[in-house]
This record gives sequence, C-alpha cells and structure tokens, in this order.
Amino acid sequence: MPDMSAIVNPQQRQFNPYAENGGTILAIAGADFTVIAGDTRQSEGYSIQTRYAPKVFHLTDRAVLAVNGFAADGNMFVKKVKQRLEWYRHAHAKDMPLRAIARLIQTMLYAQRFFPYYVYNILGGIEEDGTGAVYSFDPVGSYEREACRAAGAAQSLVQPFLDNQIYFKNQTPAQGSSHPAHLPLPDVLSIVIDSFTSATERHIEVGDGLEMYIVLAKGRTLPDAVTTLRPQELPSSAGDGERVFVLKRDLKKD
Amino acid sequence: MDHFPTNWGRPKYDGFDTNATYPFHDHGHNQSAAFAGATQHTQQPIVTGTSVLAIKYKDGIMMAADNLASYGSLARFKGVQRLHPIGDYTVVGASGDMSDFQYLQHVLDGLVISEEINAQDGHTLGPAEIHEYLSQVMYSRRSKMNPLWNSLLVGGVKDGQRFLAYVDLLGVTYFASTLATGYGAYIAQPLLRKAVEGRENTLTEPEARGILEEALRVLFYRDARSINQYQIATITANGVDISGSLKLETAWGFAEGIRGYGSQTQ
Amino acid sequence: MFLTRSEYDRGVNTFSPEGRLFQVEYAIEAIKLGSTTVGIRTQHGVVLGVEKRVQSPLLEASSIEKIMEIDTHLGCAMSGLTADARTMVDHARVTAQNHVFTYDERIKIESVTQAVCDLALRFGESVHDEDAMMSRPFGVALLIAGIDELGPQLYHTDPSGTFVRYDAKAIGSGSEAAQSELQDKWHSQMTLREAQVLVLRVLKQVMEEKLDQHNVQLAEVTTDQGFHILDEIALKEVIDTM
Repeated sequence: MPDMSAIVNPQQRQFNPYAENGGTILAIAGADFTVIAGDTRQSEGYSIQTRYAPKVFHLTDRAVLAVNGFAADGNMFVKKVKQRLEWYRHAHAKDMPLRAIARLIQTMLYAQRFFPYYVYNILGGIEEDGTGAVYSFDPVGSYEREACRAAGAAQSLVQPFLDNQIYFKNQTPAQGSSHPAHLPLPDVLSIVIDSFTSATERHIEVGDGLEMYIVLAKGRTLPDAVTTLRPQELPSSAGDGERVFVLKRDLKKD
Repeated sequence: MDHFPTNWGRPKYDGFDTNATYPFHDHGHNQSAAFAGATQHTQQPIVTGTSVLAIKYKDGIMMAADNLASYGSLARFKGVQRLHPIGDYTVVGASGDMSDFQYLQHVLDGLVISEEINAQDGHTLGPAEIHEYLSQVMYSRRSKMNPLWNSLLVGGVKDGQRFLAYVDLLGVTYFASTLATGYGAYIAQPLLRKAVEGRENTLTEPEARGILEEALRVLFYRDARSINQYQIATITANGVDISGSLKLETAWGFAEGIRGYGSQTQ
Repeated sequence: MFLTRSEYDRGVNTFSPEGRLFQVEYAIEAIKLGSTTVGIRTQHGVVLGVEKRVQSPLLEASSIEKIMEIDTHLGCAMSGLTADARTMVDHARVTAQNHVFTYDERIKIESVTQAVCDLALRFGESVHDEDAMMSRPFGVALLIAGIDELGPQLYHTDPSGTFVRYDAKAIGSGSEAAQSELQDKWHSQMTLREAQVLVLRVLKQVMEEKLDQHNVQLAEVTTDQGFHILDEIALKEVIDTM
C-alpha cells in the first residue's frame, strides 16, 4: 500500500529563516581587566564559508561584545547595538556604562521574543567601579554577570575547562591556602589560548584564527609577559581612561 | 500622550499618506484581484541557476557562471546571463531563483540610476556599497519570511581596492579571496582555494582565467544542473568586462576505459 | 499696542515680523503671576521651596501640590499654571522610568530636563489622525532639582523650551526681589541647612502672608535620602531656626 498520508494531509515545507554558522566565543573577567575572545571561522555544515569573519566587536572604550550563532542575525544585532550606543552618547553626553549596555542588550533581545535573534552574546569590559566584568545572554535576553563564560559550537568542550581553571571546580587548595578570586592577565591569556587550540583540535567548526580583546581598567598597565606578545592597542576617545588591546593568533585550518 | 519623542511629528497610521503622493507612490489601494488580497511568499525556487565562482587575482576580481537556467531537472533556458554589471565598478553573479535575480537587477539598476540622477553629489556606488545594500535587502526579506531565493557573489574594484563577498537568501554574508555558490561550494571551492590562496597578488589574468575554466569544467562533469557554455567577468581598475558566451572544451573518451560501475564487470 | 500685534496672536506658531512668538512670550508672562518658587544648589544637595497661596481659611493647605517627585533622585517645583505641569511631570516620570527599564541606571538630571523641554514646544495644530496634542504653550516654569553622577544640579525650564542650570533661582511673582536676594546670599560653601533657611528667608521677604509651616513647602534632594518633601514637623523645625 503506497503512503497516502502526503496526499491526505498535504505537507507545507516552510522556509527556515535561520542557519547555524559555527564558531566559539569566550570571555574571562579579572580583577581589573577582561579578556573577550572568539575564533574567526564561519561555516555552514561541513563547509568553511570563510576563514576570517570576526565575531568579537569593540563597542566603547570599556566594552567589547562577542556574538555567536546565526551570522546574519549577529551582524545585524551588533549594528543595532552600535547605533543605540551612538544615540545614547548624543542624548546623554557620555559613553554608555557596561551594565547599561548589558540591560540594553536584554531589552533589544527580548523585543524580538517571538522572532528571536538566533545569537548567544557575551559582553565583557570594565564596570563603573573599575572591576572586570562579563555578562552572558541567551537569545531572548536572559542575562547574568559572571566571572567567565564560553558559548557557541564548542561551549560544551570549553566551559568545563573554564569551570576547573577559573572557578577551581574539583580542585582542593593546598593545606592552609585558598584559591585566588581572580587570576592575573598572563594566566588568563594562556587559558584562553589553550581553550581555543583544544576546541580547534576536537571541534570541526572551530579554527582558522583567534582574536582576543583585552580591556584594561583605568590607570593599569599591561604586565611585561603580555607586552612581549605585542598586542595592538585600539584608539580610545579619552586618553586617561580604560584601554582596549587586540591579540591575534593563528589556529589550525584543517 | 505619546512619551516617545521619536514618534512625534509622525502620523499615527502608516496608511496615512504623509507626503501626499497618492496615487503615484506605493499606494496599496489597487490590489490585484487575482489572489483576492492574499500575498504569496516564495516557498521554493522555480527556474534556477547553478554555481557562481569568483576569485581575486593580481589585477582585480574574476567571476564565472554558466548560461543555464534549469526548471527542476529540465535544462530550460540555455542562454541566460547570470553575471550582471552594476555601475562602473561592480559585478553581481547569481545562483538560485532567476526571477528573483531579475527583480534584484531591476532594483540595483534603479538604485544606481537614482544615485546618479538624484544625488549628483560625486558619490558613486562601489562594490562594498552594493554588497551592503544587497545584504540589507536580502536580510529584510528573510525577516519578512519572504526571501529572495538566491546566493549572490559581489565582486569589484574601486579606488584601487579589490572587493569580493557573498550574500544569500538568509542575509548571511562573508568575504574571502575565493568564493563559490551552490554545488560549486563543494566541488569548486577546494580547487580554487588550492590554486589561489596566498597567490592573490601574483596571479595573472590568463592564470586566473585558467583556474576558473578548470573549475567550471569539473563542475560541468559533476553537476547535473550545469551546461558547457559560460561567461567570465573581469573587474579591474580599467572597469568591468563581461565576455560573450564561451564553450567549455570537454573530453569524454576516458569513459570508454572506466570499469566497475553498476552491473558492468569487464 | 495689541491692535498691531493681533495679526500674529492668532496662530500659536506664527512668528511676528520682528521674529517673536507672542503666545510663547505671553506664556512666560503667565509665570510672573504665579506664586514664588525658589531653588538652591549646594555641594551637599538641592533645596526647593514654594509659597502656597492660601486664599481662604476654609482652604485645605495640604491639598496644594507645587512640588512633585519625578524619580527617587530628582523632583521639581513649579510656578504658573500648575495644572499644565502635571502633563510635564507625567512625561518626565515616564521618561525616567523608561530609562531605568532600558539601561538599569538612573537618568541624568539634564536628560530629564531636556525631555521636558522637548515637550514644551510641541504645541500647535495636530495633523490629521494624530493624537491630540497641546493647542497652546505650557503656562508653567519648572525648577528641576536632582543628584546624579555629576553631583547636585538645579535646572530652570520655561514655556519656550529653554533650559538653563543655576546655583540658585527664583521664579514667579516675587522672583525679581527674590533673585537679587539669592545673588547676595548664595555662596558655594553653603550647608544644606543654610540653604533651607535661605529659601525660607527669601520666600518670607516676598510673601504677603506671614510665613508658617502651612503656607510654604520645602523639599530637598540629598545623596543619602534622594528626593523628599519635608513634612510639617521638619518644616516647622527649620522655620523655628530662621
């Protein structure tokens, strides 16, 4: 008996407005800095679309946004956030503080609750009180401040590693000592690089290039161990405020 | 009381004709009765073009596409041009639905004309601007769940800068020194990357042409929706040149010697 | 005089040949009929004071409302057609609440002032199908006081939609005398208590009735307590120290 269900119940194939473009992003907050990083591969299925499509964006002197998921939504979302930041600057004569950007991102994401931006956002930077901060979001705007977060294709590979290395999960401190609340910048950068080389090794959607943004609190300088890596400093609007640096690394292209 | 200053001074209803353009501008009163007011959204492509290929080379951008527009598995139109020049610096190549591509040609030609006639401010649209505009059109149509069913390559040279980018029906964009749409993304892209990556600034025009022809030939052997007639567009500092329809040289003699497919044993 | 002007008095948005908007100027005149209102900024906070004209012994003085809260960190005092101020304060409150909702931070005093002034010039004939809007200029001036990341601030707005920041400002019927008194007495090292007393002294000078806790009202904005209106007990205490 032939299958008649298709004739009895006509099936409508619906246009799928989303795609999944791979890649992974990550951010770690220090006491007076934040590192926000992402790989640069953009893919669909088994195809690499390009080896260089940035997922991490410089917003203000003290805020950097990493966006991962459906690339078209991601680029549009970043474009709209930047537009809102400019309007805010014109209306209120100051740069939007990090926690205000976080709330703005929530309202912008939730406004699309019934046709969401299919993107996972991680916002990193320096808070008004000078501390490093990471905010992570789901596609419809739930958010919280954390010390570290990984998202995207290799989240399940990287986050447990961060839980162990940043939050010291499953580690017992030596007798009479305790775990540090924050790691120094060189240690954090090593953890970020290791996270991405490992993810590149085990996940086909991660690789090609790595971009790490470092946001440094007001009045702080890079440790020598970081200066020797020759990070590129981005221009800032005020000379004496927070500073943003970029470090680029190659990842395996296979 | 409307507390949002951005709404002030605007009419409350979109239906109100702010600039008194009736009956000329986009006035939704004379809907065709054919669909009884219901709007139709594209659910699938109908007449389709297959792969478009493009690479960067020493002097600019080279793009190629064959001349076939298929109706399902039927090779329906065999003399279709899928490379379209926009302004003086840009070529757009299209795969996917050919009627949607014709609509885009109309939109882009209109854009260039209105920029040229209305603005007369010395600004001219280059490949980067055309690509950004196309991306916004494609993304906004996908967001209305009424996509333009195409994968497009935009290539060009302006102010000494080479530009090559992709945009598709979802509004997804990317840039690379070799690009291929459709089946070509699987078959041609690896060949193009091997031949081009790292040599973008040294490849000569005959070399670039050879690379694209070879990739087209492989596609013609492997892609059942392709044809052995094609065109090549070159965009250099000297402007846009789109060739006439060219013929791919193919050899099928090797088929004689193939053994091992199907029931054939000797 | 009015005969020559009348042609340009009809439309609220019509400039006279000398480049004046008479209706806006008349609205500014209306404020000069209002009760006196005083504001003083110090390093520690801002003090607002108003005179309540209790025209009848049967009138319940506590029902006269001339100082209003906008958000926890700012408020305003008014002079002129106080009913018009309700629309403006409503707009200011919604603007402030929208800001905390969207940005999770207190709105700046200047931003609220700007929002109120944007509203001030939205009068005239409304377009077809549009929400009905104000047909004439607001006949009220506000002293907006608050504290934000830039410290204590005092702004004055008028019906022309102009706003200016002041250290000390008086508006209303007794404003001329009051302003010159403020100019004499204000200094940058004032304490909050000194500012309260100065506000009351200035009001006392220009009031016809004898000043007591029923016919004046004081409010202040401080870092610790935000905006609050002084109750009669606290007010009497200040009056007693005058």
